[in-house]
Amino acid sequence: MRVVIAEDLFLLREGLVRLLQAHDFEIVAAVGTAPELLAALLDTSPDVGIVDVRLPPTNTDDGLRAALAARKQVPGLPVLVLSQYVEQLYARELLADQQGGVGYLLKDRVFNDEAFAGAIRTVAAGGTVLDPEVVQKLLLKHTSTNPVTRLTPRELQVLALMAEGRSNAAIGQRLHITEKAVSKHAAGIFAKLGLAVSDDDNRRVLAVLAYLES
Amino acid sequence: MALPRAARHDGAVSFYKIAVIVIIVGSYLAWIRPDGLQGRFRAGRWGLLLPLVALAYASVSTAHHWLVIAEVLAGCLLMLLAPRASAKTVPFALLGLAFVGLVLARKYTDGHNESTLYGLVLAGSYSGRTALVLPEAVLFLAAGLWLLLRLNAPGSGLVRQTATRLWQSRSSGILPWQGFLVLLPVALILRMLDMHTSSGAAIDVAVIAVAVVLALRARLWAATLAAAASLVLGTYGILLAMYGHPTSGHYYGILAWESNRGIFIGSGIQGTLLLALGVWGTPRVLGQHLGLREKALAAKAELLTERVETLTQTRTDAVDTAAAELRRIERDLHDGAQARLVALGMSLRAAEKLFKTSPDAALALVSEAKETSSRALTDLRDLVRGIYPPVLADRGLADAVRALALDTPLHTVVDVDLPGEIDLPVGSAVYFAVAEILTNAAKHSGARTVRIHLSYAVGTLRVQVTDDGAGGADPAAGTGLTGVERRLATFDGILAVNSPPGGPTIVVIEVPCALSSPKTSSC
Repeated sequence: MRVVIAEDLFLLREGLVRLLQAHDFEIVAAVGTAPELLAALLDTSPDVGIVDVRLPPTNTDDGLRAALAARKQVPGLPVLVLSQYVEQLYARELLADQQGGVGYLLKDRVFNDEAFAGAIRTVAAGGTVLDPEVVQKLLLKHTSTNPVTRLTPRELQVLALMAEGRSNAAIGQRLHITEKAVSKHAAGIFAKLGLAVSDDDNRRVLAVLAYLES
Repeated sequence: MALPRAARHDGAVSFYKIAVIVIIVGSYLAWIRPDGLQGRFRAGRWGLLLPLVALAYASVSTAHHWLVIAEVLAGCLLMLLAPRASAKTVPFALLGLAFVGLVLARKYTDGHNESTLYGLVLAGSYSGRTALVLPEAVLFLAAGLWLLLRLNAPGSGLVRQTATRLWQSRSSGILPWQGFLVLLPVALILRMLDMHTSSGAAIDVAVIAVAVVLALRARLWAATLAAAASLVLGTYGILLAMYGHPTSGHYYGILAWESNRGIFIGSGIQGTLLLALGVWGTPRVLGQHLGLREKALAAKAELLTERVETLTQTRTDAVDTAAAELRRIERDLHDGAQARLVALGMSLRAAEKLFKTSPDAALALVSEAKETSSRALTDLRDLVRGIYPPVLADRGLADAVRALALDTPLHTVVDVDLPGEIDLPVGSAVYFAVAEILTNAAKHSGARTVRIHLSYAVGTLRVQVTDDGAGGADPAAGTGLTGVERRLATFDGILAVNSPPGGPTIVVIEVPCALSSPKTSSC
């Protein structure tokens, strides 16, 4: 799997490269600035881009902007955004085009290299992976006007795990229920959120998006 | 009752006299009817003046007798048939008569010498009474204006407004009429210069206009000019009376200065009066000038003192706040990330020792170390958020507030109307203020929805946070808002809470600040 890495701190960049190479990813470019990232994403057409939010030149959210700009030109181009902090605002911006292939994780998640590699593959396959911390904050939000409020507690749990990018099997394992039960809950979620029958991946993205909008 | 000159030399004079007298007396008799006396008296008693004013108009003009009779007749008929309307006509007729008098006075000054009956004064033919035309015209003017206001005639509102504005004493301490005293010496000087040409009349009008504007706009300076000019002209008048030689065609005051003892005395009296006016006015205007300066200085000093006090207070607060912040950061680092890093090092060291003898225990320690480093990162992240919120650094205040809104458990509507970027120090203070307000709303208000509105106008950033909660919030109760207020005060910002029992609670923050141009995308 071909990967572009953008990280301005040399040590972290090299660490990422080593870690991903160890998991059989092919690093086609490892860059340190937003303009380089944009060029690399557009020129090398990687399977996934791994992007630090904060990049030069302005050292604010240049990485995020570059990723969004690239996805504007190549819709659905998978990007996994890493950051020292996670913000719902940025998660929404990443998900806004409803194309999937988006990840947004704290840099800490790299420590668990297997889960991290799994997240990269999920994103590359068009799935959505949100950091548990974002999902956690979402659970605190309770408003009355959203269809999400009609979900049962169990369905909410399933949806939260879906947002973290977990497969039905993984969710079943986590909640100690069968995969079939998870599919049933998922169908319930899709129905309550008014998501028509289409390919499952896209519905998962839209469900997460509805969740974010709540 | 006197009649125009032409009428007096006419053979048929008695007929016209009799006709006019009959018309006027007849109409007054017709007016006093036994049945409606009281009602009519109330309705239009001032209309009674109309035939007399009409007569005065008729006698000023040397028109044909029939015209004189027609004018008087018209005045009488109006009085009888429309008492109210005629009453309201009188002030305007008087004002017009005054204007005619002013024109007439000017004509006599310029050498016109035909005799004319103006009101009660038979002017012309070198009559001494010619000089009374001007005072009588002024009298008519005053009477006209007074009646205008008295009867609420059309236009009285405008006159009243203007008069009120003129008569309202403002800070200068000089009354409006004192400002208008400047017209006296100015008129005197114009008369002494005595320009007979038509351009001279234009200059007269222009100078008078300037004097009036001065009296209206710069009362104190008008009064100053009046006092100074009165001193000079008064002294000149007295010197004239004592040592002057009479010369024809020169004037002082309202009287011509000619070979006439009386007029010498006149200039002496006028000069003395003027000098007295100057002597009376000078200390007043001087006092005002000095007083004003002192007052201005005192006001400025007071403002500065106040400002210094405020700045001293806010600076102390800012220093205290900064010191407290640093202490908190130090403590957080010491107890949090720093402690965890120490623990991390110890775990790794222990793992290193156990690596060969018991690899399983070493592995467990390394796992623990990984966990600890993760916690250290979380600690640091929270700390950074408290010092300098990442979205604020990345995107500025508007998005930072949006991010805050997303993080609160309440339903929020954020409405941003900022034409540019807020500078970071101010933005940071406002951000933490909004964070505190949202925290309070979520904790105490029981609100479901919060609206946040950011706007900027006339150099002030304004943030309004409205919740639909129970209200009754006491801003003095918690320490949170007090700290926020202190932090805002460093930027001369204020925080106001309006929270009636039953809600809604509205919190407004206002901070004077500059806007920089909007951030441009870096990609």
